[in-house]
Amino acid sequence: MAPRTETAGEKTAETFKPEIVVLYCQHCVVQDADLTIAMKATSRFRAKLVMMPCTGKIEPSHLLKILAHGADGIQVLGCPYQQCHRLDGNLRAEKRIEYTRQLLHQIRMGPERLGMERGLDFSGLQLMLLAERRADAVKPLGPNPMKGERE
Amino acid sequence: MIIAEWKPIPELVRKLSGHRRILLAGCACCVAECAAGGEREVETLAPLLRLALSVEGHPLEIVTRTVERQCEWEFVEELAEIIPKVEAVLSLACGIGVQAVAERFPEITVFPGVNTTSLALREEPGLWTARCQACGDCVLGETFGLCPVARCAKSLQNGPCGGTRKNGKCELDENVDCVWNLIVERAAKRGQLESLLRIREPKNWSNSFHGGPQRMLREDLRP
Amino acid sequence: MKLRAGSRLERVLAAGHFAVTVEVGPPQGPDAEVIRRKAELLRGLADAYNVTDNQTAVVRMSSIAGARLLLEAGLEPVMQMTCRDRNRIALQSDLLGASALGIKNCLCLSGDHQKASASGKLKGHPGAKNVYDVDSIQLLAILKGLRDQAVQSSGDPIEQPSPFFIGAAWTPLATPEAFRTLRLAKKIEAGADFIQTQAVFDVPRFAAAVAKARAMGLCDRVAILAGIIVPRSARMLRYLNERVPGVEVPEDLIRRMEAAPQPATEGKRIAKETIKAVRVIPGIRGVHLQAIENEAVLPEIIHSADLLPRPEVKM
Repeated sequence: MAPRTETAGEKTAETFKPEIVVLYCQHCVVQDADLTIAMKATSRFRAKLVMMPCTGKIEPSHLLKILAHGADGIQVLGCPYQQCHRLDGNLRAEKRIEYTRQLLHQIRMGPERLGMERGLDFSGLQLMLLAERRADAVKPLGPNPMKGERE
Repeated sequence: MIIAEWKPIPELVRKLSGHRRILLAGCACCVAECAAGGEREVETLAPLLRLALSVEGHPLEIVTRTVERQCEWEFVEELAEIIPKVEAVLSLACGIGVQAVAERFPEITVFPGVNTTSLALREEPGLWTARCQACGDCVLGETFGLCPVARCAKSLQNGPCGGTRKNGKCELDENVDCVWNLIVERAAKRGQLESLLRIREPKNWSNSFHGGPQRMLREDLRP
Repeated sequence: MKLRAGSRLERVLAAGHFAVTVEVGPPQGPDAEVIRRKAELLRGLADAYNVTDNQTAVVRMSSIAGARLLLEAGLEPVMQMTCRDRNRIALQSDLLGASALGIKNCLCLSGDHQKASASGKLKGHPGAKNVYDVDSIQLLAILKGLRDQAVQSSGDPIEQPSPFFIGAAWTPLATPEAFRTLRLAKKIEAGADFIQTQAVFDVPRFAAAVAKARAMGLCDRVAILAGIIVPRSARMLRYLNERVPGVEVPEDLIRRMEAAPQPATEGKRIAKETIKAVRVIPGIRGVHLQAIENEAVLPEIIHSADLLPRPEVKM
């Protein structure tokens, strides 16, 4: 099989709908956030919202497995600095995400497929906006080459 | 602890490009302690390599298995059922473990996935510093518990040389303490500076690798 | 006093003269003419001429070859020998060879680590395996054994003694400062006959260190030559001060160079003043000048520092 470049792909830029997985800390969203919003159809990207007890739970292996399963990008949402309910979970997350981004850079997948934001009181819609921003960053990279091999 | 670190990923990708199904074998001992080859690292490297090879256009299936220690035949044996199902093994064990696997399964290619670099102490999470060179002639009793073989770039026995920085670090690496400065400090604190005036004779290096590949035999422990 | 090797340097010092040694860097190539040209440039200016041994781990013509070429040109060499590249077997072998070639002065150093060779434009050999089988103090003892007992490091004899006037380095102002004089004592105990120090810029601090050595009786047992580097610019002084351990440059000296309209000339002036100042320190028996690829300035400096002519000694 011919090697794929990051910008080529079977889909053209217009038809490529990035699949973004949002890993968000439970403390970052408002209590009554409408999380079903992700189920509704969007024309430009698809998002999967995954609640974490704390972003500190995230390991590089999780992020890489999510990508190995075919996701095009991952957006992490953690609590602001010094507001982690578990002291420094959000700091550990930041380090691990930076580490994983470097690994993605080394294998030419594009570090832009992964990022972390910080905030509080997010609504479901705001989570989707985050996902959309990640989708925009991922679009130029093209679809995840693993999509054809997804288990 | 034996310390190792991942080989550069591009090097691993090149080595694996010709294969379709491999075993990624981890070790739960030293390499797990230094976050290079334990189960966690296996679970990180496996998807990473699959992604990398997919990007290169050479999709690769990876079977993963982490054993207690790859330097123990009984644990290496656990890999026997997987070997027939793969084309090659990428072992994250130190050089000892890689060789044990290669010796037990001579029919299959075994690649090292890490470079074994030193015998080190984990000073803090994420920081390991080499403490021992396995020189076979330990002088720690005379250097106040600080090893000049492993921690001095020149392995001086009568140090320090003229290359100690003002802040006590080694001129070769601003992050590395001049161990002879530490030895002098410790000797001074104990009021035993004079002991460092004794001229230490040239070392006998023959009880280590310099004397030839090492072989230790204990008759009392033989079966 | 019985002479150890009878070299010119030894005789000059034994006669009580203020000695002068000068450093000669061998070429990064096989051309003997380079050494011969330097010999012509420096003839008559010093009592002995140090040939460096792959300084900063950069490959250059060997110091034993450079030393022999100087001898053939009529100059007395000091062969520098480091512990980085050769084990005790090779070191002793080279020492026997040096004696056979008429080389009598040897300066024993541990030697810069090979990491230092990759610097500036040079790729060097940072990936080379180093040796460091013995250190400089053990090497001093090895030379002493070859000379005084005709014995190798192993205890095996050699057929005849190998005479050397044995030299060592001293960096009195490097951390840990308090230990440096004690280590000097160790070097003398091991076999050092003469010392060449790291470059001096801060004369009072250097003098204080020498005074400590004198108080320990060390200046009676060894001839200390103060190291002198000729600075070329304020930047060079700053570099030496910040990056070379044991070289302490007072702030006002740097400011003086910065203010100088002609830094090169000012540098020569500073070198001359330093030579004059160390000359009156009790215990200092000479100077060792390092020009660092700039040997051309040495004739002028040595001449105007009142160090010429070099004394006549019976060989």
